[in-house]
Amino acid sequence: MLRLIGRRLLLMIPTLILASVLIFALAEVLPGDVGRSILGPYATQEQVDALNTELGADKPLYERYWNWASGWVTGDWGESLLLKQPVFPVVMKGLGNSLLLAGFALAIIVPLSILLGVFAGLRRDSLLDRGITISSLSMTVIPEFVSGVVLLYVFAVALKWLPVTAMPPDGSPFVYRFYYLILPAIPLMFLELGYIARMARAGTVQVMEMPFIRTAVLKGLPRRRIIFGHLLRNAMVPTVTVIGSQIGWLIGGLVVIETLFVYPGIGKLMVDAALTHDIPMLEAAVLIVAIIYMVSNLFADIIVALLNPRIRKGA
Amino acid sequence: MDETRSSLGPDPDLRAEGAQLSADPEMLEARVDAVATRATVAAQVDAAAAAEQRRQRRYLARALLRSPTFMVGMFILLFWVFMALFSTGITQNPTDVDPAASLQAPSGAHWFGTDDLGRDVFARTMAGARTVLIIAPAATILALLWGGIIGLVAGFWRGLTDEIIMRLVDVLLALPIIITSILVLSLLGKGTAIIIVTIGALFTPVVSRTVRAAVISEREREYVMAARLRGERSAFVMAREILPNITQPIIVEGTVRLGYAVFTAATLSFLGFGLAPPSPDWGLTISTQRVFLQIAPWTVLFPAVALASLVVAVNLITDGLGRVFAK
Repeated sequence: MLRLIGRRLLLMIPTLILASVLIFALAEVLPGDVGRSILGPYATQEQVDALNTELGADKPLYERYWNWASGWVTGDWGESLLLKQPVFPVVMKGLGNSLLLAGFALAIIVPLSILLGVFAGLRRDSLLDRGITISSLSMTVIPEFVSGVVLLYVFAVALKWLPVTAMPPDGSPFVYRFYYLILPAIPLMFLELGYIARMARAGTVQVMEMPFIRTAVLKGLPRRRIIFGHLLRNAMVPTVTVIGSQIGWLIGGLVVIETLFVYPGIGKLMVDAALTHDIPMLEAAVLIVAIIYMVSNLFADIIVALLNPRIRKGA
Repeated sequence: MDETRSSLGPDPDLRAEGAQLSADPEMLEARVDAVATRATVAAQVDAAAAAEQRRQRRYLARALLRSPTFMVGMFILLFWVFMALFSTGITQNPTDVDPAASLQAPSGAHWFGTDDLGRDVFARTMAGARTVLIIAPAATILALLWGGIIGLVAGFWRGLTDEIIMRLVDVLLALPIIITSILVLSLLGKGTAIIIVTIGALFTPVVSRTVRAAVISEREREYVMAARLRGERSAFVMAREILPNITQPIIVEGTVRLGYAVFTAATLSFLGFGLAPPSPDWGLTISTQRVFLQIAPWTVLFPAVALASLVVAVNLITDGLGRVFAK
């Protein structure tokens, strides 16, 4: 088990280095002249040259990559061109806000969609099953800003049950934040609901046909013990895998939802940095998101291994 | 997987044997005869195969016509295609500004109301399908083309080429697609063509993975072996022998990608990358009219519902196709 984790961690290093090269290349090489792409077509050549010297963009490429990457490892992420502030604390604050929103959404949706999926799987092909499957699937495929805007209208504008903004006024107690996060979290939940519920349903259907379930039923075990003791543990393996692979969509969803609700998370930061050509900020935000994405995939793999003794105990 | 068989082209030993055969005149004559009979047999087999294929296609078409999921999805999609093509002649001009009539509620004159510039929301909603219906299919076709070629090459040649390609695919997939596209689009600027190429390029790795898997399961089949023994070039075997046999997984992958392409294109234009006003694109409209949600919700809600209906329609079609193919 430890060897498995160690091997996966080692494999992450080359992928991470390649990803950092990719991000660097996209951000600094693709636009050709970095200074020009930041200042736009109306700046004079002297202004562009001055900015390039200030950014070190006139140095050779490998040197620039090395400066950027080594600075990144030591926590020196450069200075935002727009805010004229060090990038590191700004990105970390945004990241904290995003993790709060994503964690809140996941904490509700994972148990809920597993429950729905198992329910649908146990009553396979019933009306309830068709209903759950179709509605969760449609919710998943509709873009999150579409469901977000409709929910915003229904619950914040028409019914006035929930606030229109995602952040409470300054000085409110921390718990208030969750009340303000309910509305932004729902579209994120929709995004995950279909996939998780579908996998939980498929897992349940598959396991229900196994001989050991029949044995348990014929042995006269109570239904509750069959579901919790025999079924769930086996049906969960594909579900956990799919939760891990959905993290990418969750991050994409965060970008969109934070933009829609004007919530100061890392997704909003990234969109703003991209729209204003704040390249140091953009690079830092994208790289940290890439790392989080890889680490969460690793976590999903570890949990799958823990659930499956063949992987846990195998070589 | 047998690695020694994975070397390209026909077996060198067999090729040498073939050369020897053709050197002997008598043998050569016998061979010509054999080739001639083989040709007639091949023609008969071809005709039978074509008939079989036609039968299968008719069967598939009938199954699709009977699938309610597929038909509902197709109906909604065709409605939006029709609107994208002909709405200009039916509705008012989607970009006609009328400041005197801004943010009016839905009425007889403006069925869906007007937006902040007094533009007719009904006309804009109907015309809004245009951009998505150009971008999403074009990007999907590009992704299928590139991903198909890469997947065929990687799956057919295996070995080092495959290893390198698949490593690169892993790296490209190490970033969520929406993040990479933001990065690329913020640097390349706005325009329909740029979005199409970006989405197409970012969907390529996933498509190539699917195609590669399909190729690997086909390449050990007898007909591939036969083509190699005939001495066909790799490109011919890939394009004329393997490709026609993996069209089903490619079609299914294509419809799945189409759904994601609609999703991604709409999301990108909502985020402000790619398209510029006054385009009536739904994503763009939702993002620019969002501030009026509290005073004029119709400016946002109608495009939102329209976009939702299109996305659901594409996914219903995917679902229907997948079910029919799986049978």
